[in-house]
Amino acid sequence: MFDVLGKLGWFFRQYWKQYTIAIILLLIATLLEVVPPYLLGSIIDIITAGEMTKAVLGQYILIFAAIIVFGYFLNFFWQYRLFEGALNLEKLMRRKLMRQFLKMTPTFYEKNRTGDLMARATNDLNAVSLTAGFGIMTLMDSTLFLGSIIFAMGFMISWKLTFFAMLPVPIMAVLIQYLGKLVHERYMKAQDAFGELNDNVLESVAGVRVIRAYVQECKDEKNFADMSEEVYKKNMHTAKINALFGPITKIGTGISFVVALGYGAFLVSNGEMTVGQLVTFNVYLGLAVWPIFAIGELINVMQQGNASLDRVQGTLNYKADVQNTNDPIVMKSPSTIGFDDLMFQYPTSQVKNLQQISLSLKKGETLGIVGKTGAGKTTFLRQLLREYPIEEGQLNIGGIDIASQTKEQILDWIGYVPQDHVLFSRTIRENILFGKEDATEADLMKAIHLAYFEKDLENLPMGLETLVGEKGVSLSGGQKQRVSIARALIKDPEILILDDSLSAVDAKTETRIIQNIQSERNGKTTIITTHRLSGVQHADQIIVLDEGQITEQGTHEELLRQNGWYKEQFDRQQLEGGAS
Amino acid sequence: MSTSKRLTKYAMYYKGPIFLGLFFLTAAVFTELAGPFIAKYIIDEHMTIGKIEVEPIAWLLCLYLILAIATAILRYFMYIYLQMGANRVVQKLRKDVFGHIQTLPIQYFDHLPAGKIVARVTNDTEAVRNLYVQVLSNFATSFISIAGVYMALFILNWKMALIALVMIPIVYLWMILYRKYASQYNEVIRTKIADINAMINESIQGMTIIQAFRREKQMTNEFDEMNEEHYAYGRKLLFLDSATSFNLVNTLRLIMFTIFIIYFGTQSLTAVEIVSAGTLYAFVDYLTKLFNPITNVVNQFSQLERSLVAGKRVFEVLDLTGEKVSQETMPRYEGNVVFKDVSFAYKDDEYVLKHLSFEAKRGETVALVGHTGSGKSSIMNLLFRFYDPSKGNILIDGIDITAMPRQTIRQHMGIVLQDPYLFTGTIASNVSLNDPRITREKVEEALKAVGAERVLGHLEKGIDEPVIEKGSTLSSGQRQLISFARALAFDPAILILDEATSNIDTETEEIIQHAMDVLKKGRTTFIIAHRLSTIKNADRILVLDRGIIKEQGTHDELLAQGGIYNQMYQMQAKSLQV
Repeated sequence: MFDVLGKLGWFFRQYWKQYTIAIILLLIATLLEVVPPYLLGSIIDIITAGEMTKAVLGQYILIFAAIIVFGYFLNFFWQYRLFEGALNLEKLMRRKLMRQFLKMTPTFYEKNRTGDLMARATNDLNAVSLTAGFGIMTLMDSTLFLGSIIFAMGFMISWKLTFFAMLPVPIMAVLIQYLGKLVHERYMKAQDAFGELNDNVLESVAGVRVIRAYVQECKDEKNFADMSEEVYKKNMHTAKINALFGPITKIGTGISFVVALGYGAFLVSNGEMTVGQLVTFNVYLGLAVWPIFAIGELINVMQQGNASLDRVQGTLNYKADVQNTNDPIVMKSPSTIGFDDLMFQYPTSQVKNLQQISLSLKKGETLGIVGKTGAGKTTFLRQLLREYPIEEGQLNIGGIDIASQTKEQILDWIGYVPQDHVLFSRTIRENILFGKEDATEADLMKAIHLAYFEKDLENLPMGLETLVGEKGVSLSGGQKQRVSIARALIKDPEILILDDSLSAVDAKTETRIIQNIQSERNGKTTIITTHRLSGVQHADQIIVLDEGQITEQGTHEELLRQNGWYKEQFDRQQLEGGAS
Repeated sequence: MSTSKRLTKYAMYYKGPIFLGLFFLTAAVFTELAGPFIAKYIIDEHMTIGKIEVEPIAWLLCLYLILAIATAILRYFMYIYLQMGANRVVQKLRKDVFGHIQTLPIQYFDHLPAGKIVARVTNDTEAVRNLYVQVLSNFATSFISIAGVYMALFILNWKMALIALVMIPIVYLWMILYRKYASQYNEVIRTKIADINAMINESIQGMTIIQAFRREKQMTNEFDEMNEEHYAYGRKLLFLDSATSFNLVNTLRLIMFTIFIIYFGTQSLTAVEIVSAGTLYAFVDYLTKLFNPITNVVNQFSQLERSLVAGKRVFEVLDLTGEKVSQETMPRYEGNVVFKDVSFAYKDDEYVLKHLSFEAKRGETVALVGHTGSGKSSIMNLLFRFYDPSKGNILIDGIDITAMPRQTIRQHMGIVLQDPYLFTGTIASNVSLNDPRITREKVEEALKAVGAERVLGHLEKGIDEPVIEKGSTLSSGQRQLISFARALAFDPAILILDEATSNIDTETEEIIQHAMDVLKKGRTTFIIAHRLSTIKNADRILVLDRGIIKEQGTHDELLAQGGIYNQMYQMQAKSLQV
């Protein structure tokens, strides 16, 4: 259970000064806490005995004043120092996680769902940081504070009384711990029900046109009512256990007080104890309630922190799938691109996704890749992006195996336009500048022109400064694609990769963009995958992929003559051509 | 009305359990506060040095224990009833919001991301739940306890109790100041952490792009900046908390004890009044009890703030004007659709449709052709009454559609969206939408009629095959067919079909083409068309350009006209030929 503190050893070592100070101050504050009840008791004794003098009273008031001032600063400092530790840990871990995420390649993201990773960065992170602040505090409270209260009761008042009065404590502690576990289980179930409700609402909102078109509003409402009833029931189920904590403590402490009063009365009548001491004792009993709870809290915090830390650490320990070599070869600019009998299989795949891929592309050439959905077009492109380690065969750029070059060097040459247009919650300007941070205004306008986005820009509320993504306006699919093309073009890359990037723009626009790219990128390499053959017929080389293999290869004319899939597809699209 | 007032109004819907809970609470406070009185009595009357009276002490202790048990039981029921009330209130609020968004115009959904709308119904109401469950029950408990303690103090010694009243303005002032600063810090912390998490989420989604453009460093810097700011405000709040909060309560308690010492100390010096040991004991006990509730109240402030903000957002949604969902039905219409000089703008004067007039007779197929932004989707939106025309009328069988409730009109319409939306459930439930009118036989029939079995046949559980989120395990062709079957099963008089642009393989394409023919039969059909084969077969083609019908007629007629349509067609054909 306390493993978590060991596993966080690096952190505590890093901040050992801060923690030492905090814990020492906490220790002193704890001991100080025991004093006022004792003083109160003795004053009561003095008053009831009628022995109060001005001098004695003045002394007590002074002591109290001193304790108040000293105690205030002590409490301030340890609290600030200790919980600052938790903030530090949270910040550090979050930083580490983000850096790790930025290093990970697609294999990692295929193995871990976004939701799970987000849970690491939020809930798990909170649970871990809780151990470094609240966890340490409960640890101190449930051991040292409880210990000092018991010692104070025993030494200053009566061990016998302490023993009998504390009898219900272990029972209470066990009960609370047990109920805590039960509550956690039920709480998780309630959360699940809430999650389901959430998913359900999401579907209702996302599918609102379908629901309205088929007049299903009432049924949907009824369905929601049922689910919210389920959530209600689960919440009440948890509440029924939660409701027990207060009463159990009440009865437990009630018994302790009865023992203290009854046995105390006996001791007082014996003359073994004064009334003042009985008061002190009862105050101590009241003080002991929190540390008893703290035991339960401590166990929960440490257990959850441990489990969470394991999960976070598991994520942090994942080694990047693609590693740079130790002595990379440096090259200025790429000349040729060559595939030599390349084979590739996704880590999660049962079959080979690329096989016997051999081809060579000279600088300045355009390569067109066509084929059915799932034929391996995107997979082919991903090899160039170094998203996966290469298994068999070779992929070389400029005649040198890419495995002996750094990933950074290769990516610097590439401008990539993905199939699913990814834009960030920023302005359009910032999204395009993502391709080249230090681009000039002229570069920007040129990229926008090449991507045929000028007209759209006019219609956007704030032009270039329009916020897109979750927080801003939603662009149409075609607009997103063109922003993402502009982002790649502004970089003026040596190698431009377009992965079916024009599927959502109409044929006319597509032709314009392709023409722009052709004329602008003279002497630079371009690789295009597409479904619409019109997008690649100008290419110097076209390959047809099927089930990860090159089935046809050549120029547009050559392929038409081959009378294969390409020709068939071409004829069909020829027929279909007209519309949008 | 203010948010808190409206929240109170909501609470009144379930005043039964809430008042019952408060009643138990008050009773529990009394039984609890009776304890120190018994102790005082024992100390003063039965605790004398040298002799012990077992019997009366035993009785009094029994009473003490019984009171403790009674308190425990009362507290249990108090908690249960307050929770019951609070959870019910929120359930009602939730149902109201959900019901209300069903009545909101489709515009609302077009302007807000789905996640935000969902948050109103779930997360924000959950925050309101915490308000009732935690904040209000804590406040109620604390105030009643504090009031009870003061009552007890007054009974014991009214002069000292009067002095103790000083605490109330002090605590009140402190709460106001604390809330002022803490709520500022909390606000920043909350928004920062939301931004940070949004950024992590977005980065994960767009990781390929970040890496492909080597923007890791930029992302790291931006992230660190936010993380640091979050941390800085976290420390500010921590500073405030360490200086006030628990620490201040503790100090106030000690100050109270000091006043207590001064008061009773000087009393015993002058010996005007003899204070019994029992009274002193009871005083110490009550003063201790006075401060726990104060801590509890302070701890709830940040949640209070959060809940009120969330509550405000929820009420904002409830305040939007909606249109009641109508249950009215009408017999199936013929499906003669007439657009009469229809103009439409989504906002102000930016008309996307301008003076549109056309007709579609029963059973006809009308294809809508045009570039993005030409107004094709707007026609669909108007016909379905997702939006209403700004000018002009749309008539079905001679009746203006705005004269009838939206739901009634839609009853005999079917829609197939470009990206067909599937719900979590099974294939069958996606066809029937769990509507009781659609029997299983009908579902099977519909699926068969559109030829889905060829595509779905290999699925293990057939039509009971589970469909997960958005149908992501199914191919786009499969999803398309399911949505065709859905439209067929509902047997609409008017059908609107937004053809998918995405390329599907030849085989599926054929099946879909066939399905479309099945679907169109006997219905007035509008197709937002992308495929030539679809357009060619249409009875009428409308060529749209910036909201105006430029040309209309059949495929051959339009080609003969040699206008835009012909040009579009030729250009497409040419671009494919070298």
